[in-house]
Amino acid sequence: MTEINRSFAKGRTLVRWLFAAAFILVVLISGFFSGLMNKAGLLYLVSGSVAAALMGFTAREIGTAFRQAAGVVGTGESLSKSAHFWEAAARNAWVLGALGSALNFTIVLGTGSGEIAGVAVRMIQSFLVMLYGLVLAVICLIPAMKLSGQAERTLHREEARPASEPAGPSRIGFRTLTPDRIFGYALFAAVLVLNVVFLVGGRSQSGPLPIGKILLHWPAILVVGGGSVALALLMDAETGARGWTLGFAVTGLTGLLMGLIQALFGFVHRNIAEIAAACAFIISASSLSLLGLVAVAGPLEDREVMEGRRVRSGSLSRLFWAVFPLLTFIFLILAFIMVVTPMEKPGG
Amino acid sequence: MTVQHKDDTNMEDLLKKAFADDLPAEVAAGMRQRIERFRSGKARGEVPSAAWAWFFRRSVWVALSILMLFAGILLQGAKSSSPLADRISALKAEFSSVPTTRR
Repeated sequence: MTEINRSFAKGRTLVRWLFAAAFILVVLISGFFSGLMNKAGLLYLVSGSVAAALMGFTAREIGTAFRQAAGVVGTGESLSKSAHFWEAAARNAWVLGALGSALNFTIVLGTGSGEIAGVAVRMIQSFLVMLYGLVLAVICLIPAMKLSGQAERTLHREEARPASEPAGPSRIGFRTLTPDRIFGYALFAAVLVLNVVFLVGGRSQSGPLPIGKILLHWPAILVVGGGSVALALLMDAETGARGWTLGFAVTGLTGLLMGLIQALFGFVHRNIAEIAAACAFIISASSLSLLGLVAVAGPLEDREVMEGRRVRSGSLSRLFWAVFPLLTFIFLILAFIMVVTPMEKPGG
Repeated sequence: MTVQHKDDTNMEDLLKKAFADDLPAEVAAGMRQRIERFRSGKARGEVPSAAWAWFFRRSVWVALSILMLFAGILLQGAKSSSPLADRISALKAEFSSVPTTRR
């Protein structure tokens, strides 16, 4: 009887997933949202999410998470870990969405030539990646919440694991760099490079500047790199990977605020160069911080959870992962407004 | 006195008798040379390891990263030109030059 019930449950889950996939396909084919289409951005987000999942989880853990999302039962601990996988996938989609928007925006600024209206349209289109990230994050949160509830119930039944954090050192472990995780990092690097190549391809770069020089804004690299490493090293060893999350997020926030203040001074002084430097700093600092969060801090925190060194990611880390991409998006819009706002010269 | 202790004492007496005289000069010189080589080799080996230990000290990296942070802040404050900032400047100038219609 129990076997029949399980089969029914699996069948229902499969039908639900198929229905959702068919609905999305019909919406895409209908063309109703063709104005919201950014193929390069969509491809970047999907492949980037796959790579980010491989950076933090082994292929076996990913397989288990998919099977349990499809209705396969498991122990309380395995359900809890699968719930963490889906939560991390949602987090990665959200952060990658913001990173994609920032990268697209930078490339449009770097290669923007020709008609002004066209440049402005491409700048707005770069924000679509953030929208895709939000949609994908919501899709991933559905199994995360479902499995989290199941895990709680099962753990309660098993009366096994205490709610407190497990004791013991939480040293950051590069020793767990498995081949699939190395493949994840290689894939992630390839996705970033291909995204840039795809966006730059066919566009004339005004001036002799290669795109590499446009993407490397040294003050932002020094501030985010130096600040993050300093904060992570100054933390206690027990803080583990949470130190990296805090480091990247805090230095990113500092960069955003520094840029905004400098831009406001630029408007007061009516100095275009000052405003441009501030915009460049905002975009580069936020991009680098998001890159650090998704490629360094996130996978390290995931390993801590999957190896049983922690029950879940820190609450402060989760707050930063939710808030920082949103702030980046708001600041990108501010940068867009600053770029397109006409400014008269003093005395003009 | 235990049996083991008695054995040790006998062995000690035997060694004292066997090496009653000083070592021959050439043997002593050879031993000194070998000791010197061992010491100098150890000293050579210690220099890089000490340097590496210093290099990997946490405080060194903290100081370096803080220096990087301040260098970045100073560079940004000094309004040093960057390719991205130059491009934004050019775009902003283009947007400013577009004629606007006032009603």
